[in-house]
Order: sequence, then structure tokens, then C-alpha cells
Amino acid sequence: MNPVNVNREPVLAPDLAARVSRVGLVLAVLGLGAGFALGAAEGDNLRHFFWAYLVGFAFFFTFTLGGLFFVLVQHVTGAKWSVSVRRMGEFAMNTVPALGIMAIPLLYPLLTNAGREEFGGLLWPWVQPHGEHADLVAMKEPFLNVPFFIGRMVFYLLVWWLMARFFMKRSLQQDTDRDPAYAPTIAMRKLSAPGIIVFALTLSFASFDWLMSTAPEWFSTIFGVYIFAGCVLTIHAWLVISSVFLQKQGYMKKEVNAEHYHDLGKFMTAFTVFWAYIAFSQFMLIWYANLPEETGFFHSRTTEAWKTMSYLLIVTNFFVPFFGFLSRHVKRKPKMLAMWAVYVLIVHWLDLYWLVMPSMSPESNPFGLIEVATTIGAFGLFLWAFARQGVRHSVLAYGDPKLGDCLAHENY
Amino acid sequence: MSNNSSAELHGIIAEYHTVEEILAAAETVREAGYTRWDCHTPMPVHGLDRAMGVRETRLPWVVLIAGLTGGGLGVLMQWWMNAIDYNYRISGKPDWSLPANIPVAFETTVLFAAFAAFFAMWIANGLPRWFNPLSRNARFARATDDRFFVAIQASDPMFDQDATAAMLSSSGAHAVETVEEPDETSRPPAVFRGAVWSLVSLAMLPLFLVAMARYNTSDKPRVHLVPDMDFAKRIKAQAVSDLFADGRGTRPPVAGTFALEDMEAVGADPAYYTGKLGDSFVTDFPLEVTPELMQRGQERFGIYCAVCHGDDGRGKGMVAQRAAVLSPATWVAPTDLHTQPVVDLASGQLFDSISNGVRNMPGYSSQISYQDRWAIVLYTRALQRSQAASAQDIPEGVNLR
Repeated sequence: MNPVNVNREPVLAPDLAARVSRVGLVLAVLGLGAGFALGAAEGDNLRHFFWAYLVGFAFFFTFTLGGLFFVLVQHVTGAKWSVSVRRMGEFAMNTVPALGIMAIPLLYPLLTNAGREEFGGLLWPWVQPHGEHADLVAMKEPFLNVPFFIGRMVFYLLVWWLMARFFMKRSLQQDTDRDPAYAPTIAMRKLSAPGIIVFALTLSFASFDWLMSTAPEWFSTIFGVYIFAGCVLTIHAWLVISSVFLQKQGYMKKEVNAEHYHDLGKFMTAFTVFWAYIAFSQFMLIWYANLPEETGFFHSRTTEAWKTMSYLLIVTNFFVPFFGFLSRHVKRKPKMLAMWAVYVLIVHWLDLYWLVMPSMSPESNPFGLIEVATTIGAFGLFLWAFARQGVRHSVLAYGDPKLGDCLAHENY
Repeated sequence: MSNNSSAELHGIIAEYHTVEEILAAAETVREAGYTRWDCHTPMPVHGLDRAMGVRETRLPWVVLIAGLTGGGLGVLMQWWMNAIDYNYRISGKPDWSLPANIPVAFETTVLFAAFAAFFAMWIANGLPRWFNPLSRNARFARATDDRFFVAIQASDPMFDQDATAAMLSSSGAHAVETVEEPDETSRPPAVFRGAVWSLVSLAMLPLFLVAMARYNTSDKPRVHLVPDMDFAKRIKAQAVSDLFADGRGTRPPVAGTFALEDMEAVGADPAYYTGKLGDSFVTDFPLEVTPELMQRGQERFGIYCAVCHGDDGRGKGMVAQRAAVLSPATWVAPTDLHTQPVVDLASGQLFDSISNGVRNMPGYSSQISYQDRWAIVLYTRALQRSQAASAQDIPEGVNLR
């Protein structure tokens, strides 16, 4: 069709946003509180709680970083299709401060001696190398030491916060200034390319630090890409869910249509395959070479307690979603796609759980209420930080020069 | 153009100037019930499919089925190659290992899906065709520039030259014209077809040459594509070389060279490190025999020995089979480990053979640790025992089938 006439009006939903953010806050307090109480009741010096907390933290982190990547990649490609959902991606990326708040308790396992003697630290075993490979882990001390680790943690969060702020500010400025030269958009486009590079490096190293170093004797250079696949999958699923929710509440009825859902669904399909591709690439080289220093990670996950779950992940995270929303008909039905998006978030969480927990407990799968509670808490915290921005800002980037193209967008 | 009624009619075209006009016209023609017609536009027009009532393509199903077929065939092919035709054990992994098959199965999936999409598009679009009769119409040339056309074919069951033309005029066409079937055929010319078939035939040639070479013998030396690699400039062991002043190809160890083994440890336990005590080979195992050691031996035997000696130790491993075919004149077959002389060998001598090699078999001391070599000896003993068993060896209570 011809370009749609855009009446550049903000889409404001402050009451709804305030309600949702309150729900998020309640979930955060209840979830993290219940997780902590359950963890304390286990009497294992909060060890189980901190591992479950790390899974929740990683879950939150993939939303934020997924949002950051989404915004960066739309600017670097000059994408038109995504303008009407981009503001929600910006909200997701702008949750860095809340992520920072959630990172603070992680200092406890780094700084305290409690529980170290028995397990080599509450969470990251390199804090006090122990056991069979202690001398090997100790050799990584120049990189894996507490001050440097905390320094890096602050650095990543600071860089992400600055990036998120830059893009959020310019995007809002584009709305209100109505600058006919589109200076804020041009500034964002200019920074997005180097931003992608910074994003790739910080995401990789943050994944190495926070997740991979839970098994410090193991290493895989593709690990960051694996987490990246989960981030991109998460943000597209989240944009589908938020859009369907907003539309159900009567907002953005015209601004997001089947074409946009179709595209979001395409990215979900593509990154389901990408995830499988990366997961298999990581597995196959290690399996084929069969080097003792590399196989430990998969050995504990493909034998005994974790075997079933590992095989199940192939089905739940690849085959089911791939065939589930391969068809364009599914992608173009918002409610059905939203159900798949929820499914994607759940199995993505399972994936994170599977990445982290066997390092704590190779012999048994400790799955219980404590993981569920902390994850709900982490998600609640994200939801609070995400929705709070809707109280003050339009949920549509109505000043974006490409909004008209976005609304006229059609898949063939 | 011409109204030469003797020529066969191909169809009628109607010209429009704007997107709105062509969309309205498409709806008119669709509602009139025509089935063999099309719209031609200089750029993609949003909503034209809907206006024309174009049915949804079935291409995705073709691609899906072809992709699944490709993936299945890819796995099947590798299963046949690895587990049936040439079951060569690689680093102790099972003959047929699914993880190793996935990259190839992935490629065949993509290959089949892509070819199916490509050629199904050809078929769906009636290709290959040299030209479309419409392209012989001068007015129609502007379909690639700034005009929009509806073309209704004469073969449409609803087609009636006057009624169809009238309908198109009333739909807002700026011009309506008949298009005749051209005199020439729309099949590609003979030269073109000839060229394509020649190329296809030529592409078969290498396959025929390969097939021929496989079933013929030749007394000419083989062609070396990379002579540097086939004939590396190296000095063979013990050979004369003028590279060095003393003419010796084999260089003596540099002053200060020492053996990798801890000579003190070897001296303290020669039975374990050499399989010998003094000049005679040991017959006892110089380490504790455990089920774990036996298992380790079985695994290592599978990795290092079975490729030549075979899983059963009878000297019929895949390497032996292939080498016997490829170079029957020079190949020394691996020993059948169940012949009496081998069974009678002292365990220490088996250990020594694994370590230092025997006849054509190279030594494995650099690849297999001392303990693993003993594990292999242990497993070889068990293998020999199993092949020389009698009915009395079967424990009570075990049923023979």
C-alpha cells in the first residue's frame, strides 16, 4: 500500500505501565524473598540459593542485553520494519540499573569466606581453588581473581548503562524535538556500528566471567555466542509478548500488525536454529577431539543425573519450537505467536539452568521451588524496571523518521 | 497492434497508469471469474496478491519435504558408509556415531531444500521458456518502466475476445490490445538446447573417467597432481646423504640429549617399563590386574589395534583388508593373534612388540602409556582365551543358545 499517513502522536499508557511495574515489584520482592527463605532453610550456607540466584540473574541479563542488541542492530541496518516495536526494545535495554542492583548480592560469594572450605566458594570455585584441578584453576589467577572480576563486572554494567542511556536519550529526543534533520537518529546510527563491537566483546566476556567461570577448569570460546543466541531469542519473544499485551489493553492497535509479528516470528525461528547451530558447534568439536581438559563440561551433563535433561533440551529448545512456528500462519497470528514466545522464554530459562546448575551439583538435578522463586523474582525485577519507563515515556517511538515505512511494511 | 485475424490469439492486455487503477482492475477481473490471467507491474505492489485472489503458494511444503528427505538421506548415506561399507573405527568411537553425521546431514538438508525450491519455482512458472508472447508487444515493454498491465490469456475458459475487451475497457484501462501468438516457438532455440545438453554431458565426463579408472588397470605411472607432497624431499633412515659432511643421513643425537624416560624408574622396575628381566621376557603381569584395567585394555585395543588386527584379533581389520586389495604385492598382513606361536609368547614380549614394533608394525611407545600397553596385553590375553574356549569353560547356569 501507499505509505500510511502518520499522525505522530505519542502512545501513552502511564496507568497500565504503573500497574505492570507494581506487579513486577511484588513478584521481585516475593520471588527473591521466598528464594532466600527457602535457601536459608536448606542449611547449606546459602550455596543452593546463590546458584539459583545466578540462574535468575542470567535470565534477567539476557533480556537486557537482548534489548541492547535489538536496538543496536536496528540502527546499524537502518531497519524500517521494527520501528513500532523498537521503543519496547529500548525499555528492555534500559533496565541496566536494575540489573546492577541485582548484581550486588553476587558480591557476597566473592567477598566472604563462608562455605569456601567445603566447596571452594559459594558460587565461583576459582575464588578458592580446591579439589582435583585446584592447581590448574590457580594458574588462571591473573584473570580470575576477585578484584579484577569485580572491576570487570562494574565495567560491563557501566558500559551497558552508558550505551543504553545514549540510545534511550536520543530516541526520546527524536520524539519530542521533531528535528527535521533527524540529528538524534543520525547520531544513533553513527554510534550503533562501534556499539555492536563493544556489545559483542562485553557480552562475551561477561558470559565467560559470570557463567563459564562457574566451571573454571573448562573453557569454550564460543560460549559468549551461545549466550548471545539466547539473548536475541529472548528479546524477540519478549517483544511479541509485550506487543500482544499492549494491544489487548487497547494500545498500539494499528501500529503493530501481522506483518510485524511475522518478522518478530522469523527472528524467533532463525535464532532457534542459530542456537541449535551454536550449541552443536560447541558440543561437536569437544566430543570429536575428546580432550580431557575440555570434556568435563559435557561429561557431567551427558551422564547420569543430567543425561535426560540434556537430550530433552535438544527436543524442547530446537525441534519443538522449530516446527512449532516454522509456518507463516503461526507467525501471523499474534495470540498463537505469543504463546510460542512464552514457551521460548521458558525453554530459554531451562537452557540457562542446564548451563549453570550441573556445575554446582554434577550428581543430581537439584531442581526445586528455590529456582522457580528466584527466577520469578529476577523476572519481576526486570518487569518492574521495564514497565516503569512506560509511566513517563511513549511506548511508541513516534518521532522516528521511518515510522511511516514501518506502518506500510508488508511481507510478500 | 495488428488485427491480423489469421494469427492465433494469445490474449488481451490492458494498460493502467497507477497502482490504484491496477488494484481496482485486478479486483474486477477476479470478480468476473477469470482464472488464466496475470498482472504485470514495474515494481512490487502491496496488496496485489489479495486483489487478484492469488492462492497461497505450496512451495514451502515442497521445500519442507525435500529438506527432511535430504536430512534423512544424509544420515542414511553415512550410516551405510560408516557402519556397513567401510566400518573404520576412529579414536574408539562407535562405527556409526550420530554427532559426527549431523554436519553432513545439515548440508544435505540445505542442499535438497535449496534445489527443490529452485526447480519447483521453474516448474511452477513454466520454465524454461525462451520468451513470453507478451514480450513481443511494443506497448507491453513499458511494464518494466512506468505502466501497469493486466493480461488475460485466450486459453481462459471465460475468454471471449469482444466481451473480455469490453470488460477491461470498462475497468478503467487506458488502452486495450490483443496479442497474437508469435510465429516462432517459445521453446529455446536448438542451439541453446544443444549447448545445455553438451554442457551436461561434459559434466558427466569426469564421473565416467573415475568409474573407468576404478575398473581398469594401467601400467602407466599415476598422475601426481602435487608432486612436492607425494615425493617430499626427505632422507630415509640409514640412507646416505651428501647434505652432511660425514655422508650420514641419520644424525646422531645432539650432545646432551637424554631419554624421555626416567632412567632411574626404568632401572628400578625393568619388568614394568620394558617387559624384560635381564634378557628374558616376563610372563607375569608387573601390575595389578583389575576389571578396570581389562576394560581400559579393551577400549585402547579398539582405538589402536583393531584397525589392523580386527576387533577379534584375527588380522582382518579394515586397514588390512584395504591394503591387501590396494597393494597385494608389498603388504605384510598383520598377525593373527590366535595362532599358537603368538599365544605362546611371553606377555613381556607382547609388551615389547607394542612398544618397539615388530616386522612392519611400528612401535607405539610414543602414543600409548606404559600402563595402557599392559592393559592392551591383558585384553589380548583375554581375547586369545575367548577364542580358544571349550564347552567346559562355560560357567554353571549360563544357557547356551
